[in-house]
Amino acid sequence: MPRSTRRMFLRAAGAGCLAAAFGGSFAFKTLAAAQDPNAQYEYTGWENLHRNEWTWDKKTRGAHLINCTGACPHFVYSKDGVVLREEPSKDIPVFSGIPEYNPRGCNKGACAADYMYGPHRIKYPLIRTGERGEGKWRRASWDEALEMIADKVIDTIRDHSADCISVFSPVPAVAPISFSAGHRFAHFIGAHTHTFFDWYGDQPTGTVQALGIQGDSCETADWYNARMIITWGSNPLTTRIPDAHYLAEAAMNGTKLVSISPDYNATSIKADQWIHPKPGTDAALGLGMAYVIIKKGLYDAQNLKEQTDMPFLVRTDNGRYLREVDMVDSGSDAMFYSWDTRTRKPVKMKGSWGEQPEKKPPIQPPFFGRNTLTFPKGYLELGDLDPALEGTFKVKLKDGSRVEVRPVFANYKDRIMKDYSPRQASAITGVNAAVITKLATDYATITPSMIITGAGTNHWYYSDVNFRVFHFLSALTASDGRNGGGVQHYIGQWKPVPLPGVGALSFPRGGNKHRFCQTTIWSYYHSEVYDAMENADIDTAAFLNESLSTGQMPLYPRDGRDPKVFLCYRGNFLNQAKGQKYMLRNLWPKLELIVNANFRMDTTALYSDIVLPSAHWYEKTDLNMSHELTFLKMTEAAVKPLWESKTDWEIFRLLSEKVAKAAVKKGYVKYYDEQFKWSRDLSMLLSDYTDNGKLETDVDAVEFFLKKAPHTKGITLDTLREKGPQRFRLNWTSPMKEDLPYTPFQHFVDSKKPWPTLTGRQQFFIDHPTFFTLGVELPVYKAPIDADKYPLRFNTPHSRYGIHSTWKDNTLMLRLHRGGPLIELSVVEARARGLKDNDWAEVWNDHGRIIARVKIRAGEPAGRVSMNHTPELYQDMIEGGSQSVLPIRMNPTSLVGNYGHLKFKPNYYGPGGVNRDTRVEVKRYLGAVPG
Amino acid sequence: MTMEAVSKPKRQLAFVTDLNKCIGCQTCTVACKRLWSGNPGQDYMYWRNVETVPGLGYPKNWTKKGGGFKNDELQKGKRPGLGDYGVPFEFEYEERLFKGAKGRVKPSPSARWAPNWEDDQGAGDFPNNYYFYLPRMCNHCEKPACLEACPSDAIYKRIEDGLVVVNLDKCDGKKDCIEACPYAKPYFNSVTQQANKCFGCFPRVEKGVAPACVAQCVGRAMHVGFLDDPGSSVHKLVNTWKVALPLYAEFGTKPNVFYVPPFLGPMMEDDMGKTSSDNKIPLALLEKMFGSEVKNVLALLSKERARKAKNKPSDLMDVLIGQRSADMMIDPLT
Repeated sequence: MPRSTRRMFLRAAGAGCLAAAFGGSFAFKTLAAAQDPNAQYEYTGWENLHRNEWTWDKKTRGAHLINCTGACPHFVYSKDGVVLREEPSKDIPVFSGIPEYNPRGCNKGACAADYMYGPHRIKYPLIRTGERGEGKWRRASWDEALEMIADKVIDTIRDHSADCISVFSPVPAVAPISFSAGHRFAHFIGAHTHTFFDWYGDQPTGTVQALGIQGDSCETADWYNARMIITWGSNPLTTRIPDAHYLAEAAMNGTKLVSISPDYNATSIKADQWIHPKPGTDAALGLGMAYVIIKKGLYDAQNLKEQTDMPFLVRTDNGRYLREVDMVDSGSDAMFYSWDTRTRKPVKMKGSWGEQPEKKPPIQPPFFGRNTLTFPKGYLELGDLDPALEGTFKVKLKDGSRVEVRPVFANYKDRIMKDYSPRQASAITGVNAAVITKLATDYATITPSMIITGAGTNHWYYSDVNFRVFHFLSALTASDGRNGGGVQHYIGQWKPVPLPGVGALSFPRGGNKHRFCQTTIWSYYHSEVYDAMENADIDTAAFLNESLSTGQMPLYPRDGRDPKVFLCYRGNFLNQAKGQKYMLRNLWPKLELIVNANFRMDTTALYSDIVLPSAHWYEKTDLNMSHELTFLKMTEAAVKPLWESKTDWEIFRLLSEKVAKAAVKKGYVKYYDEQFKWSRDLSMLLSDYTDNGKLETDVDAVEFFLKKAPHTKGITLDTLREKGPQRFRLNWTSPMKEDLPYTPFQHFVDSKKPWPTLTGRQQFFIDHPTFFTLGVELPVYKAPIDADKYPLRFNTPHSRYGIHSTWKDNTLMLRLHRGGPLIELSVVEARARGLKDNDWAEVWNDHGRIIARVKIRAGEPAGRVSMNHTPELYQDMIEGGSQSVLPIRMNPTSLVGNYGHLKFKPNYYGPGGVNRDTRVEVKRYLGAVPG
Repeated sequence: MTMEAVSKPKRQLAFVTDLNKCIGCQTCTVACKRLWSGNPGQDYMYWRNVETVPGLGYPKNWTKKGGGFKNDELQKGKRPGLGDYGVPFEFEYEERLFKGAKGRVKPSPSARWAPNWEDDQGAGDFPNNYYFYLPRMCNHCEKPACLEACPSDAIYKRIEDGLVVVNLDKCDGKKDCIEACPYAKPYFNSVTQQANKCFGCFPRVEKGVAPACVAQCVGRAMHVGFLDDPGSSVHKLVNTWKVALPLYAEFGTKPNVFYVPPFLGPMMEDDMGKTSSDNKIPLALLEKMFGSEVKNVLALLSKERARKAKNKPSDLMDVLIGQRSADMMIDPLT
């Protein structure tokens, strides 16, 4: 055991760890000063053992670049070239009067280094020798592996087409440089890449429908500004661990907390009230609230008139908006009217789709239906206009006929009053009517009040209706754009704030010369999924064919070809896939080459043909951000990429070089890309990729990225390293205000610029044929889809012990619960099936089967099964995984792409896939348990 | 060594855990594990753990293991078996993923118990079931039963900060401390044949840095400081407001880890689904854990929160909210 004197210890510490840590500028803190130095450390000898355990010779910045919204800045501590551990850096700047973001981390982030040295680590390029998924490999050299891929790339372009090759890598926000590497490669060879936000089911289609925006949320410090918070289908204490503290802190500051969730979850236990509707009935609950708010006159009529389509006139005869084209010759079909109560005339409303801003927007942000930000301020102001919200009027059309018109609000109010009294809502939701009345009254009067929502309401077939109802509640109470208010969704990692940087690095010739594949459609189509929707009287194929044949949604490859080559990195595509059984059966065999770049052998890697070892998060340079806070962070190499691994940037650089060489070798150098009128020269691929040598490394790419967006103006790697997280200079839908948390939509609410929808307002009425067919032209409750004829709803929430599949296989995380994936069941359902805690059970439906262990939980409601989503397929399950029983289901409303703001843009609008409507049965598993 | 000599450090470092803010995320568990107890023989031990209450806890049934003091007499308790802690699972990833072994990667031994086996389970019938999270660590007691029991005088209470530490130069593995501690917080390392336990991160504390479990608490539920420092939040919560209470005070060791009892949370529901005025967490359970004064503490906490709801100031709530981490602890920075 090492023994040394205190003097030696302090000298060593001063010269080593502290100097390294703080560059000598950091003084010893309070404690040492407060104590009598002569009395200290009498037992020095043996205690140095532990003192030495808390030393390091290198401290670097680290972040965890997975599909997590935490974006938690860490320090990484290394000694002798080995990463020892990590700890939150605790240097995120603070807001006055609001609890700080620090420390920001979680149980997973605190053991992120495990994947560097753990048994999953991929050390060398591997080429499959057994069947896909078997885990039999031979070690290959980088040259051999990359040349094999490069040859296949050229052969595929030559013999089939470039769009038979696809690259899947999700979520630019968490690692924009790594993300860009593969997208840039795909961009220059003409391959297609994949959407992810929609495919993961997280894209709130209802927000696009109502607001014309992909989604935007307040940073979580703003939760503290709310006086009432409803966590609605959201369990931040488990799924948003670094932000959860704001809930209890707000509560202690006097904020009322209400948790709406079918189960008594970790967030419910902190709430003033727990409301547990039947799963999937959230819209009915929301409409019951709307009933109360309208009936009691607690709504803000002025807000509805100015900011929403509520005063817009709808024809009684055909049920459609009254449009300019109805009124005058050569009128626009995207100009609308309201009824001015003063002049008693229909008045054209400013700012709708038919009226584009005079100043051409410099960029068309893909997260907007259109860019309305170049309209002048105050454009939506009503001035002398006082539009009617109620009443029935007559207008004269251009052909001289007179038709009856009514404001949207009048129609919607009628529906709400007819169908959603608290008593009626109670019958649907199972929530006591008095509770609904009280909830609505509180929501409208204890302001600012905020709805925080997530996957619990957004993973349903009719999740779009849920979100439209939430936005309606927010509109009724004029809650948007106010600190502490609004509807805030946190599902998905969707917000790379400095988007122009992502575009410049990923799509150098422009997004309009890049093939964006809608992944849900790609997966559904090529996996030949059976969605059983005929049981719910919806013909998905008919809607899909209509959407594809009219070009509303894209399908790749074009011309009826099959996909051939699939390159996946930074995403566990197969493991996370809904319709997984169909995908393995039908899509996987179509793929002639599956390549995975990864640092761990996840399920997708295991089912690949060539696996390339990539650098861990602590072995490369990249950036990291999230919509949960407005601060940019970085990660950097604590050590060089271990074994033979390489950074993603380098992997695609080397691959570009090999493809260029293969093109020359095979004499297939140039091809004309008809779709984009682009004469591609594959021999130039390396210089294209590196921009003639300017982007050789990940560090070059970061510096390039930071300079490309006004959001990151003046931020450099050095400032991020030395000063810590840096606040964005600019944001999406609100200005960045000094010392105030960001909350979205102030450009519309405060600056009164048109919303990027068809009507230029928050739009709740959508007069598109598909919406009429489904009966959701106005947001009304639709029961969950019961296409699977089984008794129990299948619920797939997120786990405390993993971020999707990442960490689910981590030994420490597994030791901290039950060693493997679990099926969670209520006491009632378990008893009915003779199941005891920790028994093996079988979950099945027509799509597939899972055999895993059961956990009985008193907080789980009867009538459903819960399984934390996406354990790795090789974990402790006798059969299947959470996705085995899921088909892919596409709500036809999300296939619409020909209605103003409803159009396909990557991760902006498109079908999601849906998991929570699924039904299953459970029974005790009596078969053999393989040893 | 007499109790008299060791139980009076110059200062006492104390910990307060606010159970209203604890989110059960296990970050503290991992922070501690990764910093200190990753050495051979330590896999099964979690010096810092978080368990769901009600439940059997970690180790199983620890509240009934015995030890501590009764009428100032040291009690000999039981020593939990490895199965009570949970035999640490091992997994054969390499064989399955890289060498083509068939089948699933399963925990070995078979999953039957683990340190947090009862995660989110609790007790009671839906919808009136209940649970909360209880983080536990060495209590760095005024009257450490472990210290009293050690036949080798290997355990001492540091003069500077009152942290209770096992001197590994002296410990010869007699295990009496493990039997004596009523909280089951010393652990036997079968590799080194010595006792291991939380030593309060004294290497960090000496440098004015908060212990890892506190500094990494992302629920911002932990306070640490010197009880005699009137500016410290622990002083305010333990001595001034008296809302932080020791766990199972009747064990007689006088813990220096205190808990703010859970007062946030919904009320019971009646058969109609309407809210009643009864707490979901039975008062009897909290009284058993935190003593009879818990009732007054809960009332005080609710009263102070109600002030905040009316936009009136409350120093107590401000201390618990802890807008700045530096106000909750000795410096959080490393």
